[in-house]
Order: sequence, then structure tokens, then C-alpha cells
Amino acid sequence: MITHAHHIQEERLFDCYFVERSGELLDPPLAEHLAECAECGARYGELTRFMDGLRAEADRESDAVFTPERLHAQRQQIARRLEHASRAARVISFPGRSVSRPGNSTPRVATRWIAAAAAAGLFVGLAVGMFSGSQAFKGARQMNASARQAPGARPAPGARPTFLTPVPTRGNGPAPDASDDAFMSDLDVALERPRTRELLPFEALTPHVREVSDRLR
Amino acid sequence: MRKAAVASPTGASAPPARDARGRRPVPAPLSEDSRLAIEIRGLVERVDLDDARERFAALVASHQRRALRIAYQYLRDAADADEAVQDAFVKVFTHITSYREAWPFEVWFTRILINGCLDRRKMRARRDRWFVPADETTGADELRASIAGSPDANPEARLLARERLARMTAAIDRLEGRQRTVFMLCHYGDCTPREVSAMTGLNESTVRVHLFRAARKLRGLLGGQP
Repeated sequence: MITHAHHIQEERLFDCYFVERSGELLDPPLAEHLAECAECGARYGELTRFMDGLRAEADRESDAVFTPERLHAQRQQIARRLEHASRAARVISFPGRSVSRPGNSTPRVATRWIAAAAAAGLFVGLAVGMFSGSQAFKGARQMNASARQAPGARPAPGARPTFLTPVPTRGNGPAPDASDDAFMSDLDVALERPRTRELLPFEALTPHVREVSDRLR
Repeated sequence: MRKAAVASPTGASAPPARDARGRRPVPAPLSEDSRLAIEIRGLVERVDLDDARERFAALVASHQRRALRIAYQYLRDAADADEAVQDAFVKVFTHITSYREAWPFEVWFTRILINGCLDRRKMRARRDRWFVPADETTGADELRASIAGSPDANPEARLLARERLARMTAAIDRLEGRQRTVFMLCHYGDCTPREVSAMTGLNESTVRVHLFRAARKLRGLLGGQP
């Protein structure tokens, strides 16, 4: 029995409010106290007004935003989505590319073979290139050696020099020998070629290494 | 801030929450919606999807308004709430085979809805961290503001109504995550503390404590006036 000396605590009042709102009955002693105690009754009334006000405000706001038309549109949208949701998903192929189906490995195998053939071709090409390059290098060296053995021999007028040996131009190096003369004559031959004819005036103004070396002698 | 922990949406096999004394609640008789949900589940299992969709439309119609009210109070954005409710209904239908009679349908559905709303709030918080929020006055907000009071009310009354709404929203936003969820579900979602206990996995007495604290805090923040 709740006497008037012990007023209902606020927490119990909230309980009462939610119990009543859910449609259930209050405990008889509590209901009796609320009916008899003016102070508790007033507090309960105030609490009920506050909570009901909150609820009414929220309902009004929600109803203003979600009008019957909007609710109807939402129901239709849900129905459409459910219809799509129950269908199996379909994979759309990327434009311009064939779709590789799982379980069918032919395209992938073919791609691998092409890649392997391309790699093998590359290696073979590199090997052949290296081999032929080394052969050409050997040939050039042999020709250069024969040119050194015959210092007086001049190459044919139209012949292209195949190998140029470096010549020391300054410092206390050894005196120029027959190979230097061969080098100079190679230069002359190169200068006489049609594509360098335009440079001849400049060449005439430039002191020749041969002349300088002759002067130094 | 801690977020309210709501049990997994499809975790229908989880046992119902115990009551305040730790006892299992006596299973209540099935509600009309729960029976309908079981019927839909049977139809889906028999791949009779057209009938299932038709029956499901009745469930949507009976829960739509309440779901929107909860989602809107939670998200405070009409478009977000609209999408959250749609997603929840679609999810319920696609997972209907995992529905068990241990839960009333409305509890199961509300749990899915609240989880969706929580996800959206998290997403929004992440988005707001990176993007400057747009002008807060959206079309829906303008509409809401314009008709918050009586449509025939004078401008002063409408202004007061707008201020009251803003104050209420701010007060609810200041509630701690779990308190807010419990308050929303009880007060706006028409759920009993026992149902909220089943949805959130919290003890029923804990739900009552959260509810009381939330209401007391709101009264304090709003000065006793809604």
C-alpha cells in the first residue's frame, strides 16, 4: 500500500506512463495512489502532458513530410524493388570485350600460348641479333688490322671508312706515325663525300691537324 | 559517443532476451503480422514469389507509417528516412526465410530498420568529415517548417513552432546513443520496453532505466515544455 507520506518516485511515474500507453493496466495500489494523492496526480498529469506533447509534435512533423501521396509512391517503389530483387542477377559484358565464361578455359589458354610464343620470339631475336653483331664487330676489327698492315695504301675513292682509330692530339704522346696519315686521309675522303660538300668553306677556314702537326715537326 | 547496439538483423535464431529477473519470457501468442510473415516465408520457400510479394504488400502498408516515423526521428532527413525504410522492407523480404516465430514480426522488422538507420548515421558522419555540409535547409525541411504549425496560423505562431521543433530536435540529438534508441523505439515506435529489450539485446530493466533517463534529460533540456 502506498501511503500519501511516500510519494511516487519519478521513475515509477514514467513506468506508469509507458504501461498505460501500451494499453496495460496499472498496478492497483499505484492507480489508487495516483487517484488519491493530489501532488502525485499533478506530477503525473504534467509528465503525461509533456510526453504526449513530444509525441504529438513528432507525429505532426512526420505526417507533414510523409504525405499519403508520398507513402503511396514509396509502396510502389518497394514493390518494384522486390520484383527486381527476386530476379537472378545478370552480368552485363563490358562493351567491346567478350565475356569469359567460367568453366570454359579456351580463350585463356590461347592467350597464354600467344604470350609464350611472343616471349620465345623475342629471345630468339635477341640471340640472333647478338650473334650477328659480334660477327660484324669481328669483321671490322679484321679490316682495321689489314689497314694498319698497309699504311701507304689508300682506300678506293668511293669506299667508306670502316674504322677510325683515335689519335692523340695534345700532350707528350708519341710522334705521329703512318697510322696517323691513314687517319688523315680517311678524313679527307670523308670530307669529299657529297653530303659534306656544304661544309667545305668552313673546313677551309679551320686549321688542319695535319698542317699543325707538320708545323710542329 | 557510444552507439546503441542493436542485434544482428538476420540473427533470428538468437534466443529472446530474458526479462528483468533473468527468466525467459513466456512466448506470447503470434500477432497477425507474425502469422502473415510466416505465410510469406512458406510461399517464398515454395518459390511462389508473386503471391509472396502480394501478401508482403499488406505488411508494408501496416508498418510503413510507423517505420517512417522512427526512421525520420532517427535520421532527421526525409530522403534518408525514405531510403532506409525501403531498404528495410526489401531486406526483410529477401531474408524472410530466416524469420523465426521466436520474435514477433514487428520486433524483427524494427531491428532491421534501426540497424539500417545506424549504418546511415555512421555513413553520414564519415561523409561530413570529408565534405562541407550543404545548406541545411532542404526542400523537405522547408516543407516541414512551413507546416509545422497549423497551416492557417499566423507567421508568429509558425515561427514559434519552428523554434520548438528545432529545440526538440537538438534535445533529442543530445541524448546518449543508447538512450536515444530506447526513447525513439518506445516513444515514437510504440514499442514496449520488453520489445525494445528483444530488439537491442539489453535487459528489460536496463531499457527502463535508459528510457527514464532519456525522458528526464529531455524534460530538463526542454524545461518541461515539449
